[in-house]
Amino acid sequence: MKKFMLIFAGASYEELGLSPEEIQNRMSKWFAWSEKMSKEGTVVHSGEALHDSVTRISGPNRVAIDNVAIESKELIGGFYVVSAADLDGAKKIAQDFPDYDLDSSVEIREVMEFDD
Amino acid sequence: MKDKLAIDHLFRHHYGKMVSILIRIFGLQHIETIEDAVQDTFIKAALSWRNQQPDNPEAWLTKVAKNRVLDLFRQIKSSKGREHIVGSSSEAMLITELFLDTEIEDSQLRMIFTSCHPKLHKTDQIAFALKTISGFSSREIASALLTKEETIKKRLTRARKIIKEQQISFKIPVGNALPKRLDSVLAVLYLMFNEGFHSNKQDILIRKELCGEAMRLCQLILKNETVRNSDTYALFALMCFHSARLESKLTIENEIVDLKNQDRSQWYFPLIQLGNSCMFKAVDTSIFSVYHYEAAIACEHLKAPSFEKTNWKKIEEWYQQLYSLNPSPIILLNIAMVKLQQLEFGASYRILNELSASDFNQRAYLYYGAWAEYYLEKDEIDLALIQMEEALNNVNNEAEKNYLLKKKRNINN
Repeated sequence: MKKFMLIFAGASYEELGLSPEEIQNRMSKWFAWSEKMSKEGTVVHSGEALHDSVTRISGPNRVAIDNVAIESKELIGGFYVVSAADLDGAKKIAQDFPDYDLDSSVEIREVMEFDD
Repeated sequence: MKDKLAIDHLFRHHYGKMVSILIRIFGLQHIETIEDAVQDTFIKAALSWRNQQPDNPEAWLTKVAKNRVLDLFRQIKSSKGREHIVGSSSEAMLITELFLDTEIEDSQLRMIFTSCHPKLHKTDQIAFALKTISGFSSREIASALLTKEETIKKRLTRARKIIKEQQISFKIPVGNALPKRLDSVLAVLYLMFNEGFHSNKQDILIRKELCGEAMRLCQLILKNETVRNSDTYALFALMCFHSARLESKLTIENEIVDLKNQDRSQWYFPLIQLGNSCMFKAVDTSIFSVYHYEAAIACEHLKAPSFEKTNWKKIEEWYQQLYSLNPSPIILLNIAMVKLQQLEFGASYRILNELSASDFNQRAYLYYGAWAEYYLEKDEIDLALIQMEEALNNVNNEAEKNYLLKKKRNINN
C-alpha cells in the first residue's frame, strides 16, 4: 500500500457564511466519508483542519509576514493522509470529498517511501 | 457507529437557544458579537466532529456555549458596555440557572417578542426572527422570502441598528402591552408559515423548513401559560391543518395539485388530530380571530371525505365571518368560488364583477383563474379559455404557470 496526502483547498465555512443548518449537513457528509473510509480499510493515518490565517516566512532574512492574503480558492483548509494501492485508489477515495459544490478542491500527493 | 447528528436541525435550534441565552446575559447591544461567537462554535464543532462525534452532541454544544459565556465576559468587559452586564459575583450561579430548559425557553420567547418589537420595520421583523431564532443565513432568508440577499442583509443591519439605538429591552412585555405585542408575534409567525405553505417556490425543502420553524415557535408560545391566548391555539391549529396536506399539495415534480385532485389518503392524520385538540382550546373564548376562521375553513376541507362532499355552506359561513374581520379582496374571491361550488352562479358573478385584477397585484392570475373557473362551470368554454390566457399572462412562478397550463389543456380536451 502507498500513502497519499489529500490536501483540501477552498473558502472556509466562515467566509462562505453558511448557516448552522448548512454546517450541520456538511459535517454529516464529512462524517459519512470518514466512516466509509474506516469501513473500507482505507486507513486514515492522520488528518487535521487548519485555521484560516496564514503566516509566511521566506527569504534568507527569514522575513515573516502575518495574515498573508491568499485567494480563498487556494486556501488550504486541511488534509488527510490515506492508504491506497495506487493513485487511482486515492482518486477514488477523493470522490467523496463533500465540498466540491462549494468550489473547493482536493490535491492528491503521494507520500515518498524510502528503503532503509 | 450511528451518526448521532442525524438529529434534525440540531445546529439550527441550538443556534437560536445559544444566541438568546447569551443576549439575556450580555444584553441586546452585543448582539453582533454574540451571533459571531455562536456561529464560530458551530464551525469549530463541524471541524472537530468530522472524524469523531461526541456521545452527546447537545451536551457538548451546551458546554461550549457556557465556555463562550466566559470568553465573552472577558471580551466585552474589556470594551465598553460593561455596566449592562449582570453583576459578576453571581455569574457562575446565574449561568447555570440560565441554561436550565425552562430558562432557555424563556430566553427564546424573549427573542421572539423582541423580533416583533413595534419599533422594528414590519419587513425586517420576519428576517430578523429567522436569523436570530432559527439561524437562517441571509441567503436562506432571501430564498425563503423571494428577495435578494443584499436586501436581507440591509434589513438585518437596520434591525440591529434600531435595537441598539432605541435601546430595546430583551423582555416579554407585560400588562396591556402583552396582547398587542402577541398580535404582532402571531402575525409574523402566520406570515412565515404562509411563505412556506402558499408561495409555490421551486425549492420544496426551504418551504417545509419555513413551515416547520413557524410551528416550532408557535409551540414555544403555547408552552407558556402567561403568554399564550386562544388566538395562539387557533393559529397553531391552522398550521397543523395546512401542514397535514403539505405533502399532497405538491407532486414529486413540484407540480401543484389542487384540493379537488389531492389524494386525501395522503393527508397526515396525527397533525389533523393535533390541530383538532388545539381547536378545542382555541374556542374557549367569545372573541374569534382571523386565525379561528381560517382554521375552521381548513378543518372543514379536511373533514370532507371527497371534494364533492365538501360542506360548502359551512365554509361559506366561515368565509363571511372572516370577511367581516378582514375585508380583503382575496377573501371575497374565495367567497365567489365557494358560491360557484354551490351552483349559485348569479351570486358568484356579482362578486367577481365587483372585483378587478388590480385588487390582487402580483396575484392577478388568481382573479383571472377564478373567472375561468366560473365560465368553465357554466360550460362557456371559449370565455373560460380567454380568462385562462389572461391568468397565464399574469403568473410569475413556474409551478403555478405549469398548473395553469395543465388546466388549460384539460379545458381544451
